[in-house]
Amino acid sequence: MAGSFSLWLFAVSVAASALGGMLGMASGIFIVPILTIFGHIEIHKAVGASIVSVIACSCGGAAPFLKNRLTNIRLAIVLETATTTGALTGVLLAGIVPVSYLYLLFAVILFLSAHQMLARRRNPVPGSAPAPACNWSDPLGLDSCYHDWELGREVTYRVRRVALGMVLMYGAGLISALLGIGSGVLKIPAMDSAMRLPLKVSSATSNFMIGVTAAASAGVYFMRGSIVTEVAGPVAFGSVLGAIAGARILLLVSNDKLRLLFVVVLVVLGIQMLLTVFGVHLIEGSL
Amino acid sequence: MNRAGRLEELLAAFLRYGSWSALAVIGLGYVLALISSHRPTRNLAALPNMRLVSAGIVLFILLPILRVLLMFLVFVRERDFRFAFISGMVLAIILLGIFLGVPAT
Repeated sequence: MAGSFSLWLFAVSVAASALGGMLGMASGIFIVPILTIFGHIEIHKAVGASIVSVIACSCGGAAPFLKNRLTNIRLAIVLETATTTGALTGVLLAGIVPVSYLYLLFAVILFLSAHQMLARRRNPVPGSAPAPACNWSDPLGLDSCYHDWELGREVTYRVRRVALGMVLMYGAGLISALLGIGSGVLKIPAMDSAMRLPLKVSSATSNFMIGVTAAASAGVYFMRGSIVTEVAGPVAFGSVLGAIAGARILLLVSNDKLRLLFVVVLVVLGIQMLLTVFGVHLIEGSL
Repeated sequence: MNRAGRLEELLAAFLRYGSWSALAVIGLGYVLALISSHRPTRNLAALPNMRLVSAGIVLFILLPILRVLLMFLVFVRERDFRFAFISGMVLAIILLGIFLGVPAT
């Protein structure tokens, strides 16, 4: 593989990850479509490279969330039993599912992400009156609290419907392993809507779990030889640097324009992934 | 105030330094690969220092797994056996996957 190809992979990963980082989205969702459509990389190798970058971005970004107590680590470890089981199922399916189905599924996830990006996520202030102190009343001690700097007070929250959350997380883990994405797109709604967690808590906890979920499948992919250093190296290196840059640029660019650009990119990639199923190439890759 | 505060600090530090180390190993691999090639080459993959890049990738994969192990150890030390059991289960699932993955080509 030529050095210029490594450079191209590196540049693409920086760009995808910076773009994703600006809107708090993992880069995985862009990496696989770009590598398969423009890089003509076989989808299993693209998934292997992408899953490593997903781990890198999750681990690299976890510290600030943890320090601000936004990550509910007890809830995370409980849900990780479901996400990792889902990931194992996904990895086992990855060898069996026809490649065209993978493209189809990927297109669906891209459209779903575009839809989610359009429907703004709001941070509903918990209805209950501000509680002076945290209290843990549930048997597993999952309820928690965090200090919201915008509101200037402690926000106490309860964790609801853990069983439903587990089922949804199993699905998220499966999709994550199959497509090489963090599938925050599935984890966050599960935590927002099903478990009724505050937005900041669900984003932070989702980011924390994504690393372990991805590592569960990456371990297997690595043993199988699907993680090719020549592809995964530049992608991992580039996406971490991109994520750092993205978080900085975030403060400079208008959020609404960016959001629209994001939706357009997601839809275009989704259409191309869909067309690939039928062997049509509208946007032809060139290196 | 927050009973899990110290564990969170520990995990934050572990993940932060772990990520930087893995990134540094990958970066070092590329730098050495470029330096050690006496004549300008376009074939990076052929260079021996790509092994360092692979090591960095393995480090990244190990990082979240070690994070679960760390949580397991802290829960055991705090005698929080329910959560020690839950983290142990997550570790077991991940290891099971790696064992299952081996025979497949």
